[in-house]
Amino acid sequence: MSRVAIVGIGHSRFGRRTDVNLGELAFESIKQAIDDAGVDKKDIGNVVVGSAGIWYEESLPAVVVDEYAGLSGAGTMRVEAACASGSAAVKAAYNSIASGETDVAMAVGVEKMTEVDTSTSVELIGRAGSYTWEFENYGMTFPAYYAMYAVSHMNRFGTTEEDLSRVSVKAHHYGALNPLAQFQKEISLEKALGSQVVSWPLKLYDACPLSDGSASVVLASEETAKKLTDTPIWIKGVGYSSDTANLSRRDDYVGLRAAVTAAKKAYAMAGVGPGDIDVATAHDCFTIAELMAYEDLGFCKKGEAAKMIRDGQTEIGGKIPVNLDGGLKAKGHPIGATGVSMAVEITKQLRGEAGRRQAPIKNGVGLVHNIGGTGHYAYVTVLSRD
Amino acid sequence: MSEPPQLHSRRTLNLRFDIPISKTKEFWDALKRGKLVTTKCSKCGNITFPPQADCPRCMSSETEWVELGTEATLVTFTHVRVTPASFEGKGPYTIAIAELKDGLKVLAWLEGVDAEKAKPGLKVRVEARASGDGNPYYVFVPA
Repeated sequence: MSRVAIVGIGHSRFGRRTDVNLGELAFESIKQAIDDAGVDKKDIGNVVVGSAGIWYEESLPAVVVDEYAGLSGAGTMRVEAACASGSAAVKAAYNSIASGETDVAMAVGVEKMTEVDTSTSVELIGRAGSYTWEFENYGMTFPAYYAMYAVSHMNRFGTTEEDLSRVSVKAHHYGALNPLAQFQKEISLEKALGSQVVSWPLKLYDACPLSDGSASVVLASEETAKKLTDTPIWIKGVGYSSDTANLSRRDDYVGLRAAVTAAKKAYAMAGVGPGDIDVATAHDCFTIAELMAYEDLGFCKKGEAAKMIRDGQTEIGGKIPVNLDGGLKAKGHPIGATGVSMAVEITKQLRGEAGRRQAPIKNGVGLVHNIGGTGHYAYVTVLSRD
Repeated sequence: MSEPPQLHSRRTLNLRFDIPISKTKEFWDALKRGKLVTTKCSKCGNITFPPQADCPRCMSSETEWVELGTEATLVTFTHVRVTPASFEGKGPYTIAIAELKDGLKVLAWLEGVDAEKAKPGLKVRVEARASGDGNPYYVFVPA
């Protein structure tokens, strides 16, 4: 198996992007990634497009995006792993190089979620589980799924609504430093705590927004990567797992089993542990999800995530800085783009290109934690300078 | 700030699914009689909820129907304020997961309990209901 590196990154502005259609939006990050890599686009053997879709008009996003960017002819497919579609795309592109099929591949994450009205988007995401048993009669929503985990975590470990709000305040603090983020302003703890209840105990400021956006990475084999760049960022470990469609079939509601399994696999493959991670992105579609991620990834012991956020251990200067791009909460969460966006962020951090939100890099190792649905899919990716 | 120009598409989709339930018909029929039943694998004894005709543990397709007790204990819940488009006017509602005596868990609405009284550990019972158009479903009510 060839080693595989990220050699090019691109990222569109996230937000309500009614100024561009799907292809135009994807193009923004594809062009940047190809330019950054310095590859000839005819050498790209495989273009994997991560997109959950159904809220935009195109049924075949991969071919629409490829045509717009002049990539038709390359091998291509659209992959879906709900909100982890981006990481699934990176994994599929990685496989095509590691297996020796191709030397250069791309993962493109793209989503347009604002072409339908908000309550239709809420409906479509709420169906992301078991339609017949949990949606048809009960109207599950995405916040409702995670709210049930929040209630359980609060009941078991004494996590509070204020702890949840602290995650949001941190996200907005770093989002204010990211010119590509959907929300670039600080918020107060009082504002987060006092915001409208969406699905108790989760409030508006516990929830990521509906977003449009794209992110792209160019991957290359070891030999090609070394020719293209002096700063390849190696994909050292990829772990992935899944859990039941029905929430009623889960063992408990205080962590995501799929994330724990994915993290173990990724750490083992990369030969590192949680203590080696300099900087991470954690899937904070809701504030409770980020707290559970600290525990699922082994950044702290089970039940101690609230203490970590209270003590500032996941800020710059803390034990492991998390979501210095503003996270899904402030940066935005265009579903299929998110996993690729996370890989772009960690690549920037490891290259030392993150500017005012740069984490101190000691071991040269970063981590991407990307969850699809409510722990229905989980992907953990370890990236490294060596 | 005015929106950039957009093409307001004229070709609309109205999706409504006809979902096969022939393999779980016993469940829906029993529910109409106020009973809660599910599938048990005749080969390995695995009991599953929601019911399914094929055993996900040993993959046998020989399953039998067994009756479940309706007493349950609340595990977790949420009060939904912002509802999906197709539930417009139905909210707010409380969705809960409760554990039956044999360890199986069920997701349903919790009715008849003041929001502040919903707590993990609350004793509830599963009760059958019928929707306006006659489709059977089930809810949790205080035990």
